[in-house]
Amino acid sequence: MAIAAVAVGTPAVASDRSVRWRRLVIPTVVVATICVVGAWIGDGVPTWLDARVRPWSDDVYDWTVQNNGDHWLFTRVFEPIADTLTATNDAVLWVLRHLRWPGVLTLVALIGWRTGGARAAIVGMLAMAGCGVLGFWDETMVTIALMLVAVIVALLIGIPLGILAGRSDRAERWLRGVLDTAQVMPAFVYFLPVVVAFGIRVPAAAIATVVYATPPAIRLTSHGLRSVPVVATEVGNSFGCTSRQLLAKVQLPMARRAMLLGLNQVIMMAFAIVVLASMLGVAGLGGRVLSGLQRVQVGQAFAPGLAIVFAAVALDRITTGERAKRGDRVRRRMPAFARGRAHIATIVTVGLVVAVAIIAAGAGADDFPSAFTIDITEPINDAVRWVNDNFRTGVPVVGGTGSFSDFLTLHVLNPVRDLLVDSPWWAVVAASFAIGWASAGWRLAALCGACFVGIAALRTWELAMDTLSQVLVIIAVSVLLAVPIGICVGRSNRAERLLRPLLDAAQVMPAFVYLVPVIFLFNIGRVPGIVASVIYALPPCIRLVSLGLRQVPIAPREAAISFGATPRQELVKVQLPMAARAIMLGINQTILMVLSMVVIAALIGAGGLGLETVYGLTKSEIGRGVAGGVSIVLLAVVLDRVTQSWGTHPRRT
Amino acid sequence: MGAGATSDSVIEVRGLWKVFGPRPERIVGSPSADLSRRQLEATTGNVVAVREVDVDVAPGEAFVVMGLSGSGKSTLVRCLTRLIDPTAGIVRIGGVDVTAADGETLLDVRRNRVSMVFQHFGLLPHRSLADNVAFGLEVRGVDKSRRRAKAEEMLDLVGLAGLGSARPDQLSGGMQQRVGLARALATEPEILLFDEPFSALDPLIRRDMQDEIIRLRSEVSTTMVFITHDLSEALRLGDRIAIMRDGRFVQVGTPAEVVGAPADEYVSNFVRDVSRSHVLAVESIMTLIGAGGAGTNGFSARVPLGTKVCDVMSRLAHHDLPVGVIDEDGIVVGSVDRIAALRLVAGEDVLDVIDGTGDR
Ligand SMILES: Nc1ncnc2c1ncn2[C@@H]1O[C@H](COP(=O)(O)OP(=O)(O)O)[C@@H](O)[C@H]1O
Ligand SMILES: [Mg+2]
Repeated sequence: MAIAAVAVGTPAVASDRSVRWRRLVIPTVVVATICVVGAWIGDGVPTWLDARVRPWSDDVYDWTVQNNGDHWLFTRVFEPIADTLTATNDAVLWVLRHLRWPGVLTLVALIGWRTGGARAAIVGMLAMAGCGVLGFWDETMVTIALMLVAVIVALLIGIPLGILAGRSDRAERWLRGVLDTAQVMPAFVYFLPVVVAFGIRVPAAAIATVVYATPPAIRLTSHGLRSVPVVATEVGNSFGCTSRQLLAKVQLPMARRAMLLGLNQVIMMAFAIVVLASMLGVAGLGGRVLSGLQRVQVGQAFAPGLAIVFAAVALDRITTGERAKRGDRVRRRMPAFARGRAHIATIVTVGLVVAVAIIAAGAGADDFPSAFTIDITEPINDAVRWVNDNFRTGVPVVGGTGSFSDFLTLHVLNPVRDLLVDSPWWAVVAASFAIGWASAGWRLAALCGACFVGIAALRTWELAMDTLSQVLVIIAVSVLLAVPIGICVGRSNRAERLLRPLLDAAQVMPAFVYLVPVIFLFNIGRVPGIVASVIYALPPCIRLVSLGLRQVPIAPREAAISFGATPRQELVKVQLPMAARAIMLGINQTILMVLSMVVIAALIGAGGLGLETVYGLTKSEIGRGVAGGVSIVLLAVVLDRVTQSWGTHPRRT
Repeated sequence: MGAGATSDSVIEVRGLWKVFGPRPERIVGSPSADLSRRQLEATTGNVVAVREVDVDVAPGEAFVVMGLSGSGKSTLVRCLTRLIDPTAGIVRIGGVDVTAADGETLLDVRRNRVSMVFQHFGLLPHRSLADNVAFGLEVRGVDKSRRRAKAEEMLDLVGLAGLGSARPDQLSGGMQQRVGLARALATEPEILLFDEPFSALDPLIRRDMQDEIIRLRSEVSTTMVFITHDLSEALRLGDRIAIMRDGRFVQVGTPAEVVGAPADEYVSNFVRDVSRSHVLAVESIMTLIGAGGAGTNGFSARVPLGTKVCDVMSRLAHHDLPVGVIDEDGIVVGSVDRIAALRLVAGEDVLDVIDGTGDR
């Protein structure tokens, strides 16, 4: 720094001073102005600051209820779409049901074999059979059918758009803006407009899932095309490929592997949303969990929750082939069926599955045999009772789950919430403005301030502060836990081997499932919501921290060691600083997950904005739901952009 | 062989510019083009990769472009078939103005007249070797059996017979580049473009591949534009060499001209470490002897014109007499003595004897 100043001379000092002036004085003045104006207006959100979103949304909803029989928007647009989706869903479900359970298991095994060899086949088939063993075969098929429909539609929309975005920078820029916004919206928020347009049940659930699964489909295609090396495109062009030849002969074949890996993400995401879409009144696994949760009957929620886990594992196993992951080298070691040509494999698969289904029909194997099923509801309920009797209080040292819950509520959650709720609203706006400015300058500051004023205008201030307090606590706890664990996993291969399967498994679980074990331990309220969110957010956070550390190139680390750095010095002076950005970006991603989970946690009594959307969805109070949903999005935007700026801008010194 | 423009050159480049960055047209020929690279990038955000290049390549010629990394070689060669669109200037390939061509003409040029060999081979990993080799034909719409036959033939030509069904990732780098070469040859192009084809290979393999090119040139008379950053490669393969620096040609000449008479400091730094006796022929240092003049006797040996100086060194060392140089008719036209040879090795200028390009 000193050398630079000397070298550049006086002008640099002068400009330094003016920069510092701009950096400090202007935001101070703005913050002071906000405070003065705010104090003059009053500490509570003034009544005139009202965007009237609630009454307006209610009017829109009333209008749709009155007109959905005759207005062209419904008869010509929404209804045909809804009918097509319902018909497709019925058709897929018909096929799955007529394949009967032996046929479906055969199909799962063959797909698994083809994509990942014998291991994937066995694990996939066993996990899928597990759904039947728990007694939820038909619910699983209902859920999977809906997911398949949504995935097909998402791909039909996403792949062409992805090709566009992959080949044209302008299209990429446009779509990226839309996709980035779409990404910060928790799933619940998508549900509201869908309900307004499509009502509830299958079409609404399918549409909501499509809306959610299309962005990753676009992303995977575009990313796949963009990961094709420039030289391959140049080779194509240099031999005179037309644009279409280039796509068909060079770009798409080379993007295939990346696209297959992305397909797995699309499927898992769609599955998670379909489960959650039980809120919209579809039957299936999610519906069973939901009704268990609503009646606070852990046993009734636990068994279908476990079935969801099994189904997720099965889907994940058979769609992330080792082959797609590791490339062609693995392929050579795989069985002949997996190596062979695609169309022959398809014919063999279809033939075998149909044959099995016919034999099953002949043998009368219509339902999953009750001899194989186990009802775990009662044992679970007993376990819950036992936990309640033995672990809620009085456990030495830790004090039990009830004591933990009380401690967290009284000494952490309430103080943070009270701080946010009791502070004058303008003080929060001013603080967000200041944080935005310190993070990335005036644009972000303006965005933060505007978002909080928007929340005030939505008339959801106290609820938003409640949710924000929960989010902040969750993030603090998650980061405090994840960073040390992530450092362990990032530096020790043994820790990595130990935790990797757990992290992998956690990644495919739908958020919904995490609610079940926590009510098992903590009953309902804010604390189980927070614990579920932490559990949900930890694995990706740990994974990203360790990934960040592992991505630090070996050369500087070796250099540090060669100068005699201790392992700790090497970590603190080399690895952590070099991984800082990656770690911050990891935290950024975690925050979005936390927010979506806090919203879902409203189902088990976490309150806040999530509860507004749940009310909106389940009690048809659309206005309330929309106000809550939009507030969530505004919060998400602020949290996302601020943490993103920490990851992308190097900290100024 | 001379640098003079002739109407029968297969590649004709006039005033070619390529500027990267925003609104590149305004940089061409403007004063800001003369700014240093760093200044220009700081003020306008532009990078001048190729500036004001003129070239004529004669049919059958091997034209080598040499320069350090970042000097604009790849950009130049890509501008020839508009893999990169030039900012200004004209490129004619076999008389067709490529820079003004519509899509169809451009495709025709790329499909039928020019093929390219890439630095990192650029094989398509999802295709077998045979399908890689036949790629150009497939794009052109040639039917499958003809493609297959041609691919076999080409793989045979580059010494990879019978490997048609293998995949690129099963091959070593050298073998991959043989496939790249076969792929370029399969379309029977008039012009072959090479963008540093061997720089990713080990030195020994690189030498093999250079021999392969020399052998090919004796069999087919394709015109070649060869990019390299390796001077010895340039000297081995080139009929003419262009030295490129900051997007500009600083010298164009035969290997002997470049080594014997570097146009400036930059080029002489480049060629300083070359063993000049390996590149220059005896005529560059010989003392001329008039027809039937005195001193036609008293040579330790007689060598034809074009003999490299290094080949007469040992004779000069062992005998006090000079070596005579004879022309095609066996008539002695000059003599080389120890002192001349030593002066060459010592790095003294020899350009007065060369018919230079007038660059200096
Ligand atoms: N697409 C591009 N955008 C901006 N600058 C580029 C681009 N491609 C090349 N350049 C710049 O142009 C100059 C010449 O590059 P190149 O032709 O690749 O050099 P060479 O092949 O001689 O190493 C380099 O300084 C490079 O940074
Ligand atoms: Mg290059």
